[in-house]
Formats: sequence, structure tokens, C-alpha cells
Amino acid sequence: MFEIDKLSCGYGDQKIVNDISFNLNPGERLAILGPNGCGKTTLLRGITGILPSTGDIKLNGDDLRKMSSQDRSKLMALFTQMNNVSFSYTVMETVMLGRYPYISGKLFSKPSKEDYKIVETQLKRFGLWEERNKLITELSGGQLQRVLLARTFAQTPKILLLDEPTNHLDLKFQVELVNHLKNWTNKEDRAAIGVFHDLNLALNFADKILLMDKGKSVYFGDTENLDINELNRIYGFDVPNYMYESRLKWKDLKSNENENLQKSL
Amino acid sequence: MSKPVRKLIILIVFLIISLLLGISIGSTNISLQEIMNVFTGHTSDNIRTLILNIRLPRVVLAMVTGATLAVSGSVLQSVLENPLASPFGLGISAGAGLGATIVMVLGLSGGLIGFFIMPVFSFVGGLLTVLLALLLAESPDTRLSSYTIVLIGMVISLFISAIIDLISTMSPDYAQRIGLWQLGSFAVRGWRSVFILTPVFIICFIIILNYANMLDVMTFGDEQAIAMGIDIQNARRKMITLVSVLTGTAVAFSGIIGFIDLVSPHIARRLFGASHKWVLPGGALLGGSFMILCDLISRTLAAPREVPVGSVTAILGSPFFLYIFLSKRNKKNV
Repeated sequence: MFEIDKLSCGYGDQKIVNDISFNLNPGERLAILGPNGCGKTTLLRGITGILPSTGDIKLNGDDLRKMSSQDRSKLMALFTQMNNVSFSYTVMETVMLGRYPYISGKLFSKPSKEDYKIVETQLKRFGLWEERNKLITELSGGQLQRVLLARTFAQTPKILLLDEPTNHLDLKFQVELVNHLKNWTNKEDRAAIGVFHDLNLALNFADKILLMDKGKSVYFGDTENLDINELNRIYGFDVPNYMYESRLKWKDLKSNENENLQKSL
Repeated sequence: MSKPVRKLIILIVFLIISLLLGISIGSTNISLQEIMNVFTGHTSDNIRTLILNIRLPRVVLAMVTGATLAVSGSVLQSVLENPLASPFGLGISAGAGLGATIVMVLGLSGGLIGFFIMPVFSFVGGLLTVLLALLLAESPDTRLSSYTIVLIGMVISLFISAIIDLISTMSPDYAQRIGLWQLGSFAVRGWRSVFILTPVFIICFIIILNYANMLDVMTFGDEQAIAMGIDIQNARRKMITLVSVLTGTAVAFSGIIGFIDLVSPHIARRLFGASHKWVLPGGALLGGSFMILCDLISRTLAAPREVPVGSVTAILGSPFFLYIFLSKRNKKNV
């Protein structure tokens, strides 16, 4: 469904991402893993056309590069870290901006009833309906993150690219977001690509993994077949062991709590 | 009637009151009844001439200039994602002023041709200045942060003002005219200026209003704008050219007047929220009213002498700018 072939991009003469290739089937979710500075965000920027790139980007066989940027933005949405929030829009207005690709280009364009409906659905989904008239300049980090996520979903794309979407979110919303993404990709012809720093969350989210190191692809394939040795080598320590240790701590915590519970009884 | 529409109507009423005040107060005070009589024809020729040939064109020019600068400010703030940006602060007004100064010194400003050459030179001067400011700001700071652009704009503005002073000193024949005009004035401009500036304003305003949604998206930054299908380079070029046309034409007729372009969009945002479909008309109405009132102060404060209107807007506007700047630093937003 979504194919990236030999994509390279960077800033000016400096190439950051080299010859990345992968493909996703309908309903699949890809997590891009790799340490800081390995080119994850740059890759997303290359795919969405924020940075000039070489190589093929195809959706259902159609070359996305040959499309107008407006048509492309109806098919592909990007959730980014780079948001400038210095103007006091309301939550509702901000999420409505996600409908921009559908309402721009017409003289004195106004949102349609359908646009309002989509925005309402997203506001409710992200628990923002009550806050819809608040100003985004007055929100907490987590609320703002949810507003910007709702806006990305309001773009109703086929391909969703998310750069660290769980930043600022508490655990409840993190889990809800991942579950929502799973539901979302299971409907129609959709696929999602996410960059997560939390490996637990990434494994929970993804059925495919792209492991990157220094701008190159080290592994692309199913989550189950990910080579742990490669992962450890790139991150520079024993990742599963670290995860296992923290799991043991959880176990302890739980048993302490049980003891306390038992004592109090 | 929706809330923003009601607020717009209040602003229209405010503008009409400002217009009437502007027409009636001056060296000779004219009563409301007398103003009405002009339109029904029952008035003396003296009052009629005073209103139709002196007061009215002056007040209308001030109104359109204020609206023009306010719209330029709103657009520039969105395009640069910066609520502190303004054509005056960025040096566009000064650049336009340099263009107009060159026309004056070359002796081309007289006659009908000069009347059309001035705005063109001002536009080019303004456009070149903003391009220079962006070029300089982008090299150390690719994200064009608020402070970089405000600082660089200020430096460019001072630099260009100094060049204008230099030219003015070297051309004593024009020095007085340049000096007065550098501070802005609506005195004895007549209807001709109104007839050129008004259509320029209306055309640019309609084009810009049609891009209101795009301006909204652009405030969130380049990355978001591109991801939503906006050709950012093209959009920015288009909007900055329109701002230069607006500012250039306004400066060519009335001189360099600051702060209205910064303050009006800011108050409009307080009233309507950030959405440009309301900020643009709201800011224009506010800018028009403020400019009429500032001009009124400029000609009555030290009557029969006139205080340059640019000084009036600066005296009232500078504390306001400081207030936004400091509250922005404290709250991280405006």
C-alpha cells in the first residue's frame, strides 16, 4: 500500500538519511526506532516533503511526488514536534485547521457541516469537547498535545506520520492513543508510522519495525523478528535486560503493596 | 447575529464616531448639524470648502492609511509566526521611506507622474528591506525566532533612517520636506492620495482575506504549513509582496508612521481571538479609527502648529509595545 524506495534526504549539502526503503500493507503500523540523531525525524520530514528528498514515495502505486501538495495533504498527515503556539486560537479553531486541505482554494472558503462533524468527533475522542472554547495559549503541555493530535486526525489521511506523539501525555492518554491508533489503522486502507522513545510503547504499537542507525536502515521487518543483538549494539547496552529489570521492580512494588494490604487487613 | 459580527458592528460605529470627531474638531470647530447640512446643501461655501476639500480628505486618508498599516501588520505577524512583527518594526516602512526620499531628491515627486512614481519606489524600497531583514535573520537563526527578527528589524530601521537623514542633509532643497514627511503627516494631501490608496487597499485586502485560513495555518510554523499542503515559499513571497505594496503605498502618501501596524492587530486578537477572518477586518477598522484619532491629536495638541502624527503614534504606541513585549516574556505567549 505505502512504499518508500531508496529515500535519501538531509539539510543543504549534508545528507542525514540514506537509502531508506520499506513498505506497509493496509492496516499496518510501523515504529521507527533508533538513538537520538539517527535521522528518524529527518526521515519523516523527507517523506512529507518538508525536506527535499530523492527516491520513490508511493501510495497504492500513485507517485505522491507528482501530486499537488494539497492533494497529498489529504492522503498523508504529519504530527510534528515543531509547533509554534504564540497566537491565541481556541481549541475548536485549532482542530478545524486540520480541515484546511479540504476547505482551502475556494473563495472565502468556509467549513462544511461535514467538517464540523469530523472536528466534533475528534474533540470528543481526545477528551477536549468541554475545553473547545479555551485558548490554546492557556493549555497545559498534555492538553496542547491532545489538541494537536486531534488536529492531525481531523485531516482524515490514509497515512499518518507521528513524531513522538506521546510526549507530555500521561500514561492513561499514552495507552489510549496507542489503542486508538490500532483501531484507526484497522479501518479502511490506512497505515501509521510512529517515532517513539519509549520502546515498550513502540513494541505495543507496531507490527513492523524500522531500526535506524546513523541515517541508515539496519532492520526492517516484523516486530517479532527484530534482532535483539542489533538493537543492543545500536543503543549501546542490553535493552531487553534493562526492560526486564524494571519489570522485576514492578513485581516487587506489587508484592509490597499486597503485603501492606494484608497487614492493614 | 454571531458574536464576532456584533463586535465588528461596534467597531464600525467606533469608526464612524472617530470620523465625525475628525471632521468636526480643528482650527474651526464644525457642529454635527453643519456637517449634515453639507450633504443637504444648506450651508455656507466656506464651511463646505473646509469640510469637503480639507477635513474630509484628510480624515479619510488617515482612516485608509491606518487600515492599510493594520492589515499589513496582521499579515506580517502571521507569516513570520511572530506577534511582535510589524512593517514599521521590521524596517519595511523605513525602506519604503528611502524609496520615496530618492524620488523626492531626484526631483521626480512633482506633477501627476511623480504621484504614481512615489508609491512604486516606496513599494520596491519596502520589499527590498524586508527581504534583507529575512536574509540576515535566517542566517544565524533558521527558525526566525521572535527576538532575532525584532532586533534585526530595529537595526535595519535605524540604519535606513540614518541614510534618509544623510540624503536629506546633502540635499538642503528637500531637507525640510523629507524631515517633515519622515515623521508622517496627513496635512494637505487632498483627494488624489485617497483615490490611489483606497483602491490599492481594497484590492489587497480582498486578496488577503481570501487567504485568511492559510494565514491561520502559517502561524503554527513552516513544518505544519507544509504538511497541510501549503507551498510555504510561494505563500510567504506572495504575502510579503502584498504587505510591501500596502505599506509602500501608505508611506508614499503619508510618510513613516509606526505602531498602528503593531497595536491594531494585537487589540483585534484580544477582541476576536486569533482567527484571521475576524482579525483582518477588525484590525482594519481599529487601525482606521486609531489613525483618525492620532491625527486629530496631532493637529489639536499644539494648535495652530501640528505635532507630526508619527510622533503621536509613537508616544502612545511605545508603552503599549513594551507592555506586549514584557508580558510575552513573562507568559511565553501573547
